[in-house]
Amino acid sequence: MVATLQVENLETHFPSRDGIVRAVDGVSFAIEPGEILGLVGESGSGKSITGFSILGLIDPPGRIANGSIKFKGEELTTASPERLRQLRGARIAMIFQDPMMTLNPVLRIDTQMIETVQAHEKVSEAAARVRCVETLKAVGIAAPEDRLKSYPHQFSGGMRQRIAIATALLHKPDLIIADEPTTALDVTIQGQILYEMRKLCRETGTALIWITHDLSVVAGLADRIMVMYAGKIVETGKIATVIERPQHPYTRGLIGSVPGAMPRGKRLFQIPGMTPALINLPPGCRFKNRCARADATCEAMPELAELQPGHGVRCHHPFGAEPLTLAEVR
Amino acid sequence: MTAFLELKDVSKRFVWRLDIAAKIANLFGAGLKERAVHAVNHVDLAIQEGEVVGLVGESGCGKSTLGRIVAGIMDASDGTIGFRGKALAAMNAAERRDYKLAVQMIFQDPYASLNPRMRVEDIIGEAPVAHGLIKRSEMGAYVERIMAQVGLDPRYRRRYPHQFSGGQRQRIGIARALAVKPRFIVCDEAVAALDVSIQAQVLNLFMDLREQLGLTYLFISHNLSVVEHISDRVVIMYLGRVVESAPTEQLFAAPNHPYTQALLAEAPKLVATRRDYLPIKGEIPSPLDPPPGCHFHPRCPHAFARCKAEAPVLKEIAPGRLSACHLNDQV
Repeated sequence: MVATLQVENLETHFPSRDGIVRAVDGVSFAIEPGEILGLVGESGSGKSITGFSILGLIDPPGRIANGSIKFKGEELTTASPERLRQLRGARIAMIFQDPMMTLNPVLRIDTQMIETVQAHEKVSEAAARVRCVETLKAVGIAAPEDRLKSYPHQFSGGMRQRIAIATALLHKPDLIIADEPTTALDVTIQGQILYEMRKLCRETGTALIWITHDLSVVAGLADRIMVMYAGKIVETGKIATVIERPQHPYTRGLIGSVPGAMPRGKRLFQIPGMTPALINLPPGCRFKNRCARADATCEAMPELAELQPGHGVRCHHPFGAEPLTLAEVR
Repeated sequence: MTAFLELKDVSKRFVWRLDIAAKIANLFGAGLKERAVHAVNHVDLAIQEGEVVGLVGESGCGKSTLGRIVAGIMDASDGTIGFRGKALAAMNAAERRDYKLAVQMIFQDPYASLNPRMRVEDIIGEAPVAHGLIKRSEMGAYVERIMAQVGLDPRYRRRYPHQFSGGQRQRIGIARALAVKPRFIVCDEAVAALDVSIQAQVLNLFMDLREQLGLTYLFISHNLSVVEHISDRVVIMYLGRVVESAPTEQLFAAPNHPYTQALLAEAPKLVATRRDYLPIKGEIPSPLDPPPGCHFHPRCPHAFARCKAEAPVLKEIAPGRLSACHLNDQV
């Protein structure tokens, strides 16, 4: 079976006055139909830029400097803008964080959704409208016929995000890239959206990349997880493996800083320092300055090594069978 | 024992009044009426000195409005606010000023809550100088001390807010609140805009400051795991009303109100088990047109006839535990 998406050694660079910003630096992964992949990292880790690179949405002077992105076997990095436009919205869709920015505030929902349908298929407006109604129903919007005639500001945040999701689903894409789509929403609404997204992926075989900074959001959603730090993947594996037996110190730090993992009122685990600026990075492991286990070997960049089948870690000192204690907490 | 801060029957209404255009339209028979939003609806809340109270609810439930009333930024439409046993309405000007200084607020958005044209030392130092807590000549040293306290490098005091990261800006906001030596801090979603790792740093800072300065917090958040971690007591709000209030352990171990149960079921947790939960249906109704009876009944799986007719009162169901649900009256 051909993977829905196969990314090999992707490098996305942004030249700047002070040097090249290596936002994504040698990222490789694959995703199968129907699979949900969680892409986790802090701001500035390159997780969103990875998503944008797949869609060919990197604005100059930024560019994909190296690597290949194969969508169902088709190379995207060398594809023409026309071909990319055919794929975007139809076969690969993206859901953004802020639904108010995705929807045009001066156009009615039906105008925007029907436009999306007709951009990729020659169908009558009536047929397109029927499709919109069905999709809105699928994401849990009541009375879709009437709601189609509303403007974005007449919807609540959760409803707007549902409309953005419905728009992404119009063409039953093979791949959806969701960039923190529930960060701005309440927990009850987030719960509804996670539930519906998972159901849709199971039913339609759509592959989903869920980008987030919050491990607990993807913990109950994803099949597989990829943790990014400073442009590189530091740990990847099955969700249960990574959360129960994290090997990279950064992953452990992220898990320890989620409130709820620690007894109430105790200090949370703090990863000391800040994410490094991505300009002129020193050689070696990028996490070494914040890492309690770093030593001289960390002056060389570790490879992403497979500890077990499917569980890769980029660290010279993985934790192995050491239980998840947070002794590092001051 | 009198509570440190006590709200009794506090309500806040936002009224859309008829303007001239609407009045003229009414002359021609438009029939426009004044509309009122009950953002906060008869809330009682007592906070003891040194306590951390978590206030949880969805957007639009009135939790931020309640926080602003407590912080003295907004006046309540009805009800009384007592601070250290004295009603706000009975205070003279000096006492009122002391109250406003003693209660400070930290806001959600570290980008919007700092004046981009002011240097950090002015942001932090302006209020204590204006209130005569320190002399202008002492401001530099004072600001440096406060910055060190919240974990900011004092050398950066001549910088502008845009030169800091999100987490650092939130620390500036905290330093600004601390600069007037408050006793009580209202945190309105103070960590919601931060990355998980930065959020941990700021939460640790809140816990350290509580220990060092003996602060009391009202911690407003929609994030249950943050509230569980930091609070002694949790108050759950829904559409302007308090629906449940309990000590943190008890609330998370055995939530009483169906809304609290639904919230807890949906909070994302760091366990890799597939949860095939069925989320609660629908959204929080518009406060312009709240449902009659119990506000939660249209979304409640246990609703029965009485819930549609009669609003439940907040009653003690166990020592220190309050809940507003008719189910508690049934045996």
